[in-house]
Amino acid sequence: MSFLILGRRSTQLSRIPRKLLLFSSTFSSQSPNTSISNNRSTIFHSSYSSSNIRNKGFSSIFKGSTKNPSGSLWGVRFLSLEAAVEPTTADGLTVEGIIAKNWNILDDSEDDWKSHASSIAQSVHLIKKRLKWKRLMYRLEVLSAQLNKADLWDDPVHAGKISREHGSLMNKVEDVMAIEQELVEHIDMIKLAREENDPELESESVKALLGIRRNVKEKELEALLSGEHDNCSCFIEVQAGAGGTESMDWASMVMQMYKLWAQRKGYGVSVVDEMPGEIAGIKRATIKVDGENAFGYAKSEVGVHRLVRISPFDSAKRRHTSFVAVAVIPILGDGSTHVQINESDLRIERFRSGGAGGQSVNTTESAVRITHIPTGITASCQNERSQHSNKASAMAVLQSRLDQLEMARQAQMNAQHTQSLTEISWGNQIRTYVLHPYRMVKDLRTNYEVSDPDSVLEGDLDDFILSFLSTSLDKDEE
Amino acid sequence: MRLSFIRPISCYSVSSPATSVKLQKPLFVRPPTFKTTISDLKKWHLWAKSLTSSVGSTFLELDNGPDSELLLRELNWLVEDAIQTPKSFLQQPHIKYNDNSSVSIRASLEQLYMLWKQRVEERRPFQYVVGCEHWRDLVLSVQEGVLIPRPETELIVDLVNDAIKENEELREGLWADLGTGSGALAIGIARILGSSGRVVATDLSPVAAAVASYNVQTYDLEEKVHVKQGSWFEPLRDNDGEFVGLVSNPPYIPSKDIGGLQAEVGRHEPRLALDGGASGMNDLIHLCNGAVSMLKPGGFFAFETNGDEQSKFLVHYIETKKQGNFSKVKMVSDFAGIQRFITGFRGR
Repeated sequence: MSFLILGRRSTQLSRIPRKLLLFSSTFSSQSPNTSISNNRSTIFHSSYSSSNIRNKGFSSIFKGSTKNPSGSLWGVRFLSLEAAVEPTTADGLTVEGIIAKNWNILDDSEDDWKSHASSIAQSVHLIKKRLKWKRLMYRLEVLSAQLNKADLWDDPVHAGKISREHGSLMNKVEDVMAIEQELVEHIDMIKLAREENDPELESESVKALLGIRRNVKEKELEALLSGEHDNCSCFIEVQAGAGGTESMDWASMVMQMYKLWAQRKGYGVSVVDEMPGEIAGIKRATIKVDGENAFGYAKSEVGVHRLVRISPFDSAKRRHTSFVAVAVIPILGDGSTHVQINESDLRIERFRSGGAGGQSVNTTESAVRITHIPTGITASCQNERSQHSNKASAMAVLQSRLDQLEMARQAQMNAQHTQSLTEISWGNQIRTYVLHPYRMVKDLRTNYEVSDPDSVLEGDLDDFILSFLSTSLDKDEE
Repeated sequence: MRLSFIRPISCYSVSSPATSVKLQKPLFVRPPTFKTTISDLKKWHLWAKSLTSSVGSTFLELDNGPDSELLLRELNWLVEDAIQTPKSFLQQPHIKYNDNSSVSIRASLEQLYMLWKQRVEERRPFQYVVGCEHWRDLVLSVQEGVLIPRPETELIVDLVNDAIKENEELREGLWADLGTGSGALAIGIARILGSSGRVVATDLSPVAAAVASYNVQTYDLEEKVHVKQGSWFEPLRDNDGEFVGLVSNPPYIPSKDIGGLQAEVGRHEPRLALDGGASGMNDLIHLCNGAVSMLKPGGFFAFETNGDEQSKFLVHYIETKKQGNFSKVKMVSDFAGIQRFITGFRGR
């Protein structure tokens, strides 16, 4: 039944009229570009100094131009990354060179600078891979070229989008380059200290390397969440597959798993929409997960989740297999471009509106369903205590669904993704949970498995999520 | 049809302080002075759930009342309102609480038993049980003697907002909410008016006037909203012709239908706020007539009605009997597709 819905949804998606997908003009003057930080400039010494100066000039010019985006200011050159010289030590050792040396990596409690340096270099290598470095640099070049065009501001919405993306990529690149630069500088410093026989200076630099080593380990994790919308909050939707009560019960177990996972992570969780099953469980439900990187993590869960167990709803105690589909939708921040929704394209209806209504009826049921007529996409909310709040929540869900649709459409246009819309919204079978005849949870994408399904169903999902994120990002590029 | 325009004239003087009214604070703002244990609270919750489940769809079939699914959601909200700590007792089942650990609640456990019994067995409206109604983005205090504001009525504030956007003069003018009840419309509108916009809210019922005043205070709107006790336009005579807007959700149920109402409404809500006379339109017609002299030229009105039949009648009434006094008179439907409101403007 649910898969029927999925199929219908996907055909509706592909029929969105072009005009509906126009972006609203939400360019904010608080562009992330302005945050290209001057404070980081302290770590750009030696070989980066030339670009550093340009960088400072750039950011101050940018501040001016956001107030007055007149176009002419954009003629100023943006920091060109090709010009940036690869950081090297005085004797010509590069970061790749450090890796090639194959220095032993010891536990970080050992005061061994080579071990620290090697570990840092490895981490930088991994981070670059996760950020898809080559592609990133290419994209940055393309964006810089566009920013340099004199007629950029003829289309301020487009210009805003370009400069925001440029700023955010720039931050990432600068972060990594700063680490590389610090690394070679401290190596130089240590060598110098040895020549000068200055143990204090040497130990300071070793300590500094240790600091970088630990810091960059954290950045490895952060780099797993480097997607454009990864830092957003999100909606998680769960939909029971065919199979009646058994799969509706499975749907409520999966929903519970995500609620508990989100609570463990310290995210805010609220139920937006829930359609209970007749006997047990839920037909479908939507929760909102609020917090930093919620989408980045939860997106790993998109797909079909399969359960094998003896059904408590089968009096003959037979083994059943049930399916649940999970979708995850990012909630784009204020700085993002949202799909403009036309009030007149909406149909707002009350749920379960039997009878005369008005004064004749007292009910705490004030759920509404909003239909976006041109796309047929609907959203509903019934868990708020007023109709007004239910409508606001449903509108937020609708907005996010339309935004996601637009993102999927653009991704297809850019030919970066070959996934179909169905895969993006609901995905393929990704994980199996077996409670009988043996006990195991196995991810079909990574082959990661555990033998304790209970802990997973209680929300212990991070290992599954991290293994998926690293597998999908760390496989060799191109 | 013979229509009686006579309505009991208030025997209270205009805006007399309703000293005799005992106000009941909503549960969720009462101090958490009662203590119980997790295990006793769980026992109560189990009891309440099973009482609720036994309802099934009997009320629904009987008089379109709540089914057990809806009642269970209300039970969750009762828990939400009643418990101070730990807030998460029901939402986070993975946190294992010690059964003997203490819980702070805003009503005694005995009261909780009684309240839920009243909800299910006496069909006492949930909003009276917890003493509040969530309406738009407001939480309004309600108690017996005051009509619980309905979700449909929320839309009147949106209609006013649309009118204000069309004509900014309305934002700074004088508005009236006639038969304000809990003060919902007056408060909702006051919050979208400009700095010099004001609302006068009237109600014949001293309980309603007192509750409305309490709610106005809760939202710090004493400067903007003046609650006056009295019948319809009586308390407004001083400002005849000065109003830029009139809104009302007057009693509109025909007297003959009162007996068959859903138990929550018929047995518990004030008849004064429901019964609109033989046709249900006594007060609506009184309001349409009064609006002619009360509204400034260009002023806006929005009234709630019982639905399609009354709305059609009133539009026709205004167009024929009040010919030339109003413009752009139309019906507006609620989210259930029922023509719930009539709106229009005083001719210039």
